[in-house]
Amino acid sequence: MPAPNSISVAVICSSNMNRSMEAHAFLSKKGFNVKSFGTGDKVKLPGTAPDRPNIYDFGTSYDEIYNDLLMKDKQYYTQNGLLHMLDRNRRIKPRPERFQMSKDKFDILITCEERVYDQVIECMESRTKEDNQPVHLINIDIQDNHEEATVGSFLICELVTVLANSEDLDNDIDELLHEFEAKFARTILHTVLFY
Amino acid sequence: MIHGGIRVMFPNAAMDRVPVKYYQCWTVSRIKYPEVIPRTVQILLRLASDETSVVAKRALRASGRILRAALKWIASAAVVTTDMELAWTQLSALKVQIINMIDSDNDGIRTQAVKFLEGVILIQTYPDPDSPKKPDDFSLEDIPLTLKIARRRKLEEEANHVMDLLIKFHGSPHVSSVNLMTCMGSLALIAKMRPQFMSNVIQALQRLQHDLPPTLSDSQVTSVQKQLKLTLLGLMKHPASIEFASTIAKQLTQLGAKEQEIIKAYPKPEDVRRMKKRQQEIAATAAKRVKVEVIIDEAEATSVPAPKLPDLIELSESFIAERLSVEIATDLVMDSMAWVPDTMTTIFQREYQPTATTDINIQRQTIAKLLAIQIKQTKAKKNKRDKEEDAVMEDLIKNPTISVAEAKRERKREKDREKEKEAKASLEAHEKSLAKARNRTKALKLVEVTKPLPKEIKERMLLMAVNRILLSEKTAVFGGVATVRSKILTTLAATFNPYIKEAVLRYITDDMRNRLDLALGWLYEEYALLQGFQRRTTLCTKPQEAPHQAYNFLLCTLVSAIDLIQGKDRDALLSRLYLEAPLITEDAVEALKMVSSDETRGLAPLQLLKEMVVRRPTKQLVFLNVLLCHTGHENNTIREAAIQLVCQLYSRAELSKLIEEYAVLYLGFLRLHNPPEIVFGQDRGRPQIESLWSESTTRACLGLYLALLSEHQDLIHELARVYTSMGADVKRIVLRLVEGPVRSLGMGSPQLLALVENCPKGSETLVTRIIHILTEKSAPSAELVARVRELYQTRVSDVRFLIPVLNGLTKKEVIAALPKLIKLNPIVVKEVFNRLLGTHNNDSGVPHTSPITPAELLIALHSIDPSKAELKTVIKATSLCFAEKQAYTQETVAVVMQHLMEMTPLPTLLMRTVIQSLALYPRLSGFVMNILQRLILKQVWKQPKVWEGFVKCCERTQPQSFAVILQLPPAQLAEALRMANNLRAPLLAHVEAFAENQKAHIPQSIMDVIQGKVPCDMLDEFDIAPRGDYSNDQKPDTMEIDLSEPAPPGLD
Repeated sequence: MPAPNSISVAVICSSNMNRSMEAHAFLSKKGFNVKSFGTGDKVKLPGTAPDRPNIYDFGTSYDEIYNDLLMKDKQYYTQNGLLHMLDRNRRIKPRPERFQMSKDKFDILITCEERVYDQVIECMESRTKEDNQPVHLINIDIQDNHEEATVGSFLICELVTVLANSEDLDNDIDELLHEFEAKFARTILHTVLFY
Repeated sequence: MIHGGIRVMFPNAAMDRVPVKYYQCWTVSRIKYPEVIPRTVQILLRLASDETSVVAKRALRASGRILRAALKWIASAAVVTTDMELAWTQLSALKVQIINMIDSDNDGIRTQAVKFLEGVILIQTYPDPDSPKKPDDFSLEDIPLTLKIARRRKLEEEANHVMDLLIKFHGSPHVSSVNLMTCMGSLALIAKMRPQFMSNVIQALQRLQHDLPPTLSDSQVTSVQKQLKLTLLGLMKHPASIEFASTIAKQLTQLGAKEQEIIKAYPKPEDVRRMKKRQQEIAATAAKRVKVEVIIDEAEATSVPAPKLPDLIELSESFIAERLSVEIATDLVMDSMAWVPDTMTTIFQREYQPTATTDINIQRQTIAKLLAIQIKQTKAKKNKRDKEEDAVMEDLIKNPTISVAEAKRERKREKDREKEKEAKASLEAHEKSLAKARNRTKALKLVEVTKPLPKEIKERMLLMAVNRILLSEKTAVFGGVATVRSKILTTLAATFNPYIKEAVLRYITDDMRNRLDLALGWLYEEYALLQGFQRRTTLCTKPQEAPHQAYNFLLCTLVSAIDLIQGKDRDALLSRLYLEAPLITEDAVEALKMVSSDETRGLAPLQLLKEMVVRRPTKQLVFLNVLLCHTGHENNTIREAAIQLVCQLYSRAELSKLIEEYAVLYLGFLRLHNPPEIVFGQDRGRPQIESLWSESTTRACLGLYLALLSEHQDLIHELARVYTSMGADVKRIVLRLVEGPVRSLGMGSPQLLALVENCPKGSETLVTRIIHILTEKSAPSAELVARVRELYQTRVSDVRFLIPVLNGLTKKEVIAALPKLIKLNPIVVKEVFNRLLGTHNNDSGVPHTSPITPAELLIALHSIDPSKAELKTVIKATSLCFAEKQAYTQETVAVVMQHLMEMTPLPTLLMRTVIQSLALYPRLSGFVMNILQRLILKQVWKQPKVWEGFVKCCERTQPQSFAVILQLPPAQLAEALRMANNLRAPLLAHVEAFAENQKAHIPQSIMDVIQGKVPCDMLDEFDIAPRGDYSNDQKPDTMEIDLSEPAPPGLD
């Protein structure tokens, strides 16, 4: 197996909190060269009521959010797992990152929902092209809750492992994705974008 | 060469990765040092066909950049060198090679090839004059016309060819999904950057939508359709696609795009207007040019889209499709048969694709589309040039397979030829018009023409804006947007820089009376930020700042601003601020503490403190604490007011416990040797620490407690407990201070009674004092007396306890206590007598009741057992009695004497009292004589002390006493005369003066004694003999005489 870290992966969800971070944690544990992002305007977290979410700017650190929630309602946020999640996140990296702001280049971008996939395409197309380095954008739909995020991170890891093992990814990817789809009975979106 | 070396070193898979970095550097170096281009192109040529796909792909990517770099290099060079020519030739070869690679077996290579072609097209075509030029963009425009090796016309021709190729690739039936999407993206990019291709691209996309490659899997179809949707949406936003907007919209609807998305992507009306205007301008320019140019190909006119082009392909297409009956089709075929050339044209061969489906409807659509395009072109031409209408029609019908793209290409070729022929003048005119058009449309993208303002200017403008809003108060009120104004101001003040804060703050403090609402609004804004109801903008977050810093600062500033106001509004404003502010910080509490301890501010701040305790439950304790602190203030007014307020609060159940504890705690301080530091300090009004207790400090510790006493009598026991361990000075002060509260409690208080009953050891003085206070103005209650008696009898035998309740005791008890009482300090004894005699303190109006009458008292004094009290003390006591003339009237004294005389044995002080009484009331002399006579009967000489007194009395009362003296038995008479020498002569004279018959009554023995002749011993029995018959006669006489006679002189 070729060194898996030679391929650079970005996992992207909306707020860079749950799904992308779950996958980030899992992939980096497996030794992949991985980063994670969100594409939303703000970092949104559920609040005590559906109409009162907690909203933060990108740039606010996980630690600050953690303390903010701790102050607001420790028991509630402990119970719904948010504090635990934030605690995990702040061990991985300091703050949520917005994909649109990132200048890094990757080989594979994995998004967790179609809206995010669209936003990534929009973002990439609005950039000035540099050297036409291709990047594969793949979408795997994952519901935004703790359990699905865990399942999703396994799937993503599986997929990334397969892709990383390919000798010529550009040539094989169609086939690999097809197999993957068949194996896990999941529909995925795929396109290629350029830096 | 280099590459070959690397290949040897890394024969296999390793090769995949190694050159990656290497090429990167290489590309960069080429751009920096154009001289190396010729050499590198050569290498690239070989690398591009490398069997390892990674290498090839990298080479392709590098080629794209080097093509650009090379063209730039050549274009910028003054003279074309052979190097350049060589490089260019090689580059052309490379281009051809890569164009062929579009059919490579490797998907990735194909993808890169497509991207390369995209680059070629972009570089080798004219840019859209409408869109602002990007700084990095390189296009045909940048290539000088004079360049020989790379002619603009040639390059553009090539680009058009490549474009056709790309469109063809895009429409090929077996394209892979990745390639398809890449290609789609490239086409869309080209259409956006070079709008002249817009229609071609849109048509290509339309075709794709109707005819997706059959090789795609389900999910790939989804992906492709999605990509298509996004691409179309992107294109729709571009102004150049305006003509096709409705077509695209229809396509999008088919792809499942939402109405909203489509509407959002729809070009804005002003874009449409601008676009139309531009088209007209271009048309006009073209028309001008038509006049200048003599020979113009008919096709050129179509280069410019007609300004009015209402028919869209889609429209006429459906129009035709509806009407394409079998008859018409047959007619068309029959008619055009005559025009079909004998041999198949190459264009037809290349472009004609037999329809894949057998569906008659789809076939009909395709035919309709083709016809529509032709009709459209025809129509356009008809509009432009009526004269040649027939010829064009003929031309088109002659060659129906001619495509629009081809026509355009043809036209461009012609145009270039023209240009080369033309003089520079025409070129300049063209450039000028282009420049004009560019200038006019420059404002399209705001981001590119605007620059961010410098920070200082932004801040200054912000401040100016704020000032304007501040000044617009009246206008805002008239306009009914006062609340909006205030919201804007508070938000700005809370979230922007300090200058704005300062401006708004100054504005508020200028007129605190009317702008307090604004201030409160701001406070709430800050509070919301502090609590995280609102996120603070990153603009002004200072991480090192404590979270409530801003809020606290504002609140304190407002408080001090209010403090500066003069007049009665001040207190009202202050209480409004404190009561309405969402949160009172510690500093604000401190500020209120300072204000409330300032006497000149009056009592309103104290009142406010109390209000705060009641109305702000969360900070209740804090404010209560401040108020409690003031109960120990040096200043009388503040202390009393604070105590009063705390007492009012004491009735609240939730606070009473706390207040009580505080009071008791402070009471406890009195135990200490020195006053505790806590009662000193600026806030207590005692800046200097003193080492000794003073009245002030004692009051500070005791004031609240005493005030609470009347509410909560239980507390009195605590005082007694603490009292035992107080210092002497403190005790004195406490005894003084305790008067008021104890008096207000009254004698009925069960707690006081209990205290008296249990009187802790050491607190006797306190208890005595309390009893004193209680009985000062009124007679002691039975209850109190009982307790005191109990205490006295069982535990503390200090007689002083009894003094206050003397009047409540029985006569017997009083008499029993008397010996002890008279031993006390003279002042106390006097007090005791005052109480018993009811003198001096009888101003309460209550009739004085005493268990003992003055006479009884005096008698009791006389009957005190000498073993219990010294004679001297008793004498002093009796003197005190005699000093009270009101109580001891003549009659009383007489009664007393009467009583005393009847006692057996006679009281020692009897004669002293008699003498004193006589001195006081000389009229009593007759009575005294009577007594003296009776004393003789009682053989007074047997008690030496009394006897002594008797003689003294006789001495004093001569000459009345002579009659009495004469009644003494001779022995006693002799003794008396011996004791009082100066008695003898007067007595003798008295007797001598008697009439003879009177003299006869005097026994000889007596006469002898008087005359000093016979000192003889007398016998007792002898003595008794004359007494019986004498006394009865003499007594009434003497009495009568004595009472009526005025006192002889010299006896006063």
